[in-house]
Amino acid sequence: MSPLSLIFLIIGGPAALGLVYIFVRGSAGLRRYIVTRIALTLPMVFILASLVFFVLRVIPGDPVSSALGPKGSPETVARLSEQLGLGDPLLVQYGRFLGSVVTLDFGNSLTGAHRPIVDEMSERFPATLELVIPAAILSLAIGIFGGAFAASRRRRTADYSLRLYSVIIYSLPIFWLGLMLQLLFGVKLGWLPIAGRVDAVIGTTLHHITNIYSIDAILTGNWPALRSVLAHLVLPTLTLGLILSGVFVRLTRINVIETLQQDYVEAARARGIRERVVIYNHALKNAMIPVITLIGLQVAILLAGAVLTETVFSWPGMGRYLVERISSRDYTAVQSVITMFALFVALISLAVDILYSLVDPRVRY
Amino acid sequence: MALQTPTSHEQEWREDLRKVGFVRRLLAGRRWYGTDWWLVAISAVMVLGFITLALFPSVFAPYSPDEQAGPRFLAPGASPDLPVLVSLATSGITELADLAVPTGEPRPSVGVVRGVPTAQALNDRAQELNQELNGTGMELRPRIARFDSLDELLRAVDDGTVVAAVVQSTEFEQLAGDFPTVGEGMSIAGGVSSEGGFILGTNQIGQDVFSRLIWGTRIALLIGFSASIIALVVGVPLGLLAGFTGGMLDRILSVIMDSLYAFPGLILAISITAVLGPSVLNVIVAIAVLYIPTYYRIVRGQTLSVKEELYIEAARSIGARSSEILRKYIYPNVIPSVAIIFSVNVADAILTGAGLSFLGLGLPPDTADWGIDLARGQGFIQNAWWLITFPGFAIMLVVLAFTMMGEGLMEIFNPKLRQR
Repeated sequence: MSPLSLIFLIIGGPAALGLVYIFVRGSAGLRRYIVTRIALTLPMVFILASLVFFVLRVIPGDPVSSALGPKGSPETVARLSEQLGLGDPLLVQYGRFLGSVVTLDFGNSLTGAHRPIVDEMSERFPATLELVIPAAILSLAIGIFGGAFAASRRRRTADYSLRLYSVIIYSLPIFWLGLMLQLLFGVKLGWLPIAGRVDAVIGTTLHHITNIYSIDAILTGNWPALRSVLAHLVLPTLTLGLILSGVFVRLTRINVIETLQQDYVEAARARGIRERVVIYNHALKNAMIPVITLIGLQVAILLAGAVLTETVFSWPGMGRYLVERISSRDYTAVQSVITMFALFVALISLAVDILYSLVDPRVRY
Repeated sequence: MALQTPTSHEQEWREDLRKVGFVRRLLAGRRWYGTDWWLVAISAVMVLGFITLALFPSVFAPYSPDEQAGPRFLAPGASPDLPVLVSLATSGITELADLAVPTGEPRPSVGVVRGVPTAQALNDRAQELNQELNGTGMELRPRIARFDSLDELLRAVDDGTVVAAVVQSTEFEQLAGDFPTVGEGMSIAGGVSSEGGFILGTNQIGQDVFSRLIWGTRIALLIGFSASIIALVVGVPLGLLAGFTGGMLDRILSVIMDSLYAFPGLILAISITAVLGPSVLNVIVAIAVLYIPTYYRIVRGQTLSVKEELYIEAARSIGARSSEILRKYIYPNVIPSVAIIFSVNVADAILTGAGLSFLGLGLPPDTADWGIDLARGQGFIQNAWWLITFPGFAIMLVVLAFTMMGEGLMEIFNPKLRQR
């Protein structure tokens, strides 16, 4: 079993079970909502996949010869074009491409070792997950607690500093933040490694199961490797997590302030409940509803940020793979990677919306 | 008292404005808007400053961005390693021209260290000066005496064996303490007026970092403004149309725009520039495509809510045509939010553009651009911190200015938000 399908099983399995559970136990309204929402996801994936296909088809020149460069003999070019079916009518190619999206079998890469693209992705995709998930958690933690804290100290120094923080963070180019962290913690202080996923020597002892190195290290009980993997994770995660946290601080703050003006909060205060409890227990819960919606939209920013973070930290994930393949003009790989990103975004926003409908019963079709 | 019609209000306002003056009125605004007024004012000054830099970079930049202006990897503020003239402080010799003597008199001897290119520099420069002196009865043809080490050479200057010496400035500065009688004169390179001229240092091919920063403003603002304007010009009419007509067109447009909006913008821009090839125009087009949905969604939403207002119905009932309703009633309501988005959008577009060029996609590799400079500098992170520090800081400042302006404008235009 390839690591990619393993990961899909680990994440997708419980998600599917949860969906079935919600579907069986939920109200008719909720059920209708979920069905409509899934039905809306399909055209989104379809549109993005089609967009990718037709945009990449505009490439001037023959993709095979530009990928092979001067090394490609006419025979190789002809053979590869034949294999890829580039001579077929556009609509036939389009149909074949849509088929490959459904089966997730994207064929072999045009350049390099000509390996199946799915195999390459099963090494790259876990790397991106390993970076993106802790970053998302970090940014949410900073965002929610920072935002609630700022709201509780409204118009005081803490509030102004946190607002300033979110504006400055928003203006920082993510790759520059990465470079500055590298400069400080990697070069000047020498505390943390600045490139790669694991120390090269220790990495050879790591047994690959899911290709999410930290999980592999725990599963095999390889503690030195775990240490090295975690050390390599700190700076990229910090970079990505900090950049995203600005928006969350801002949004949580506005929503908590708004919720604090509502009657039920006033009532809680009147009952003599301590302000801290009012803010963190009563107000924050309701204020989280719009924040959850935002998480769905932030996935796009998270992935775009991951491309840049991966480049800065030489992190062999999907974003870096995309940039590499673009430089080598390997259009089959580029097409597949972008399609994978589209699928990922669509699935996450689907999951977020379903969660949202569970949290907020007002959302129904 | 008669009811005032809107027109008389407007007249009053105009009258008022004429008396007080537009500028003073703008200034008076700070009493009503407080912090937000200052936010907009400060960021507006910053934005104007950046626009000035972008329009006239050659005025502010000491060197051209592609010029190899100095030595490689010069740290910020450090003076470049130049061949300088040193002599006894009491001799009064500070520049090479001081060594000229009337024709026929004994030529002065000038010391250099063996194996250092100073001798060549001295020779070239002396010949140049000698040509200029031609016909004045003076000549400048110093005898070159070679020494094995700098220490030896300076001792020779000290005891008068040679009249002066030409040494590399940085090496001399290390030994200068041991020879208090020897003073440093001017650089013999003459034309290069770079005494401490590289405030932000130089890069790996000797270009001035500061000048490249200034020239980089031009490309950043060009991309930011053009991409946002294109997105606005396409997105706003589409949003108006979809929101106003509704129906099938609205549904199809909305599904496409929502898909685009949900997709990671940078990745979309990467694929578009990868297809179109590297050029400034292609980057602008790629980024513009990203931001069309932003305008579309806002304008469509606003149009939908304004469309239901009573006064639109009233206008319709007295026989106003659709185009008239769009132009006279809906459009003015939508414009303020478009202005706010535009400001934030320019900031976003600059960030995305910098990201693209950092990845090495989009702009031709020799462009003076902050993203490209950062990408190039990353390889030298171990020993040249200034290469990766300043371009990123410049990006941050520009983006901050536009974001702050958008924030402040939002508060001013949309007083409902002030309650928050």
